[in-house]
Amino acid sequence: MSAGVALTVENVTKVFGGHGQRTTALSQVSLKVADGDFVCLLGRSGCGKSTLLSLLAGLTQPTSGSVDTHGHRVGMMFQDANLFPWLTVSGNIELALRLSGVPRQSWRDRVAELLEIVQLPQAGDKRPHELSGGMRQRVALARSLAQDCRILLMDEPFAALDAITRDGMHEHIERIWIERGITVVFVTHNVREAARLSNRVVVMSPSPGRIVDDVAIALPRPRRMEDAAVAEQSGILHQLMDLHDTASALERLAS
Amino acid sequence: MTLVSHTAELATPRTPLPTPAPEPAEAPSRQPRRVWAKVWPGLLAVALAVAAWQIVFWTGWKPDYVLPSPGEVGAELLAFLGEPKFWQALGNTLARAVLGFALALLIGTVLGIAVSASGVLRAAIGSMLTGLQTMPSIAWFPFAILLFGLTENAITFVVVLGAAPSIANGLISGIDDVPPPLLQTAKVLGAKGFTIYRYVILPSALLTYVAGLKQGWAFAWRSLMAGELLVIIASKPSLGVQLQYYREFANAPALLAIMIVVLVLGTVFDGLFSKLTEIVRRNRGLGATRL
Repeated sequence: MSAGVALTVENVTKVFGGHGQRTTALSQVSLKVADGDFVCLLGRSGCGKSTLLSLLAGLTQPTSGSVDTHGHRVGMMFQDANLFPWLTVSGNIELALRLSGVPRQSWRDRVAELLEIVQLPQAGDKRPHELSGGMRQRVALARSLAQDCRILLMDEPFAALDAITRDGMHEHIERIWIERGITVVFVTHNVREAARLSNRVVVMSPSPGRIVDDVAIALPRPRRMEDAAVAEQSGILHQLMDLHDTASALERLAS
Repeated sequence: MTLVSHTAELATPRTPLPTPAPEPAEAPSRQPRRVWAKVWPGLLAVALAVAAWQIVFWTGWKPDYVLPSPGEVGAELLAFLGEPKFWQALGNTLARAVLGFALALLIGTVLGIAVSASGVLRAAIGSMLTGLQTMPSIAWFPFAILLFGLTENAITFVVVLGAAPSIANGLISGIDDVPPPLLQTAKVLGAKGFTIYRYVILPSALLTYVAGLKQGWAFAWRSLMAGELLVIIASKPSLGVQLQYYREFANAPALLAIMIVVLVLGTVFDGLFSKLTEIVRRNRGLGATRL
């Protein structure tokens, strides 16, 4: 792991809603992610993990505090692949290349290379609706990589996939992360997935959304979902989350 | 191979149909059969309409010179096909339709983009566009004739007024309905300002836009027919002028023949727009559209 810092979040608070109904999605969140790290944001729904990711992507602005991606290019994947349905697979990737200012004459080679990376070399002429959910996510991954991003943000990208397809996607993302040396921030509510994928798990808790724990996962790679060590880690993470839930409930009672 | 010939055999009716046998040129291959499957409901509808007409004719409800038989009108229609004056009239009408629609396309598209992009414009003319859409275009003609006299411009003016609001509204609702996740994705990919319109918003809105074009065409065609009946330019034959002319001379067969031409042209263009919609839908995996 290099000494550089890929992104810095400092004292970020994000409040949604106007005068009537105000919800604090994030309260006083600070986070530093090292260059080349694989970090999972883990928490129940409503803990602000997706909000934090949108802030990192620049899709929304914090109410207070600052977010800094240190000039790195940021790519993002969502739960749905969000491929443009009027374009072919190649067309989707070419659009990402075009928007990144890649000269047209190198598009063909780049598209072929990216499809090779996500192991879909034959899919270029297909339309999104002709692909399975897992294949669509791999195309979305190729499209994100087409931006040549240093930081890849992933918002529960495999939550809608079946278990076998998801295991395959975990292998893809782990391999690509190792090969390309990118920084990944991965949002999930699946404890086992966090233990399977990340170097570091940032545990978040709801109302208001905040970071309550930060756990290093020092397991050898490549890992598998059914590894005993992964199961053990996820057991520990589970207990940790339960503890924080109890603590939050007590805090609320006290106040 | 055996399987294919087997199913083909099954699909062939065992007993011969009581209709005249098809010409020997039509070999029983797959292509004509598929075309036939698409065409026969239309032919059936035409046959039913003609049969009903024939029956009404036989009852003697109206005298022959007011309501002629389908056969007489058909003969008149065939005779038209050999007359240069008919083709001239048809050409003039189609040229007006194309010109009016092209102008409406341009104006409606620019208006649609402007209204969807600006909150002020939307508040100002958004609801007016819908109001214009419900206004029967024939009500514009007296005013158009005052403005432009009995000229081409009066007709074009009303055709554009009839079609442009539908086109603009189609584009506006298409732009409003761009799925937010696609917009977010586009932003993450680095699209903004003009590029987000060019590469994401407009392509996404295409389907609704095409539906607007189809409706716009229907309005343009109606406005044009109304216009040609009201704004008669002596030197210029047109389908509308023919209708008026044959009514004045009480030539019912010719009148009905021209009406059939108007109906067929409208149907053909509508079919073209349906085809366009179908292609766009199929490319996006939305299945076949009805109609």
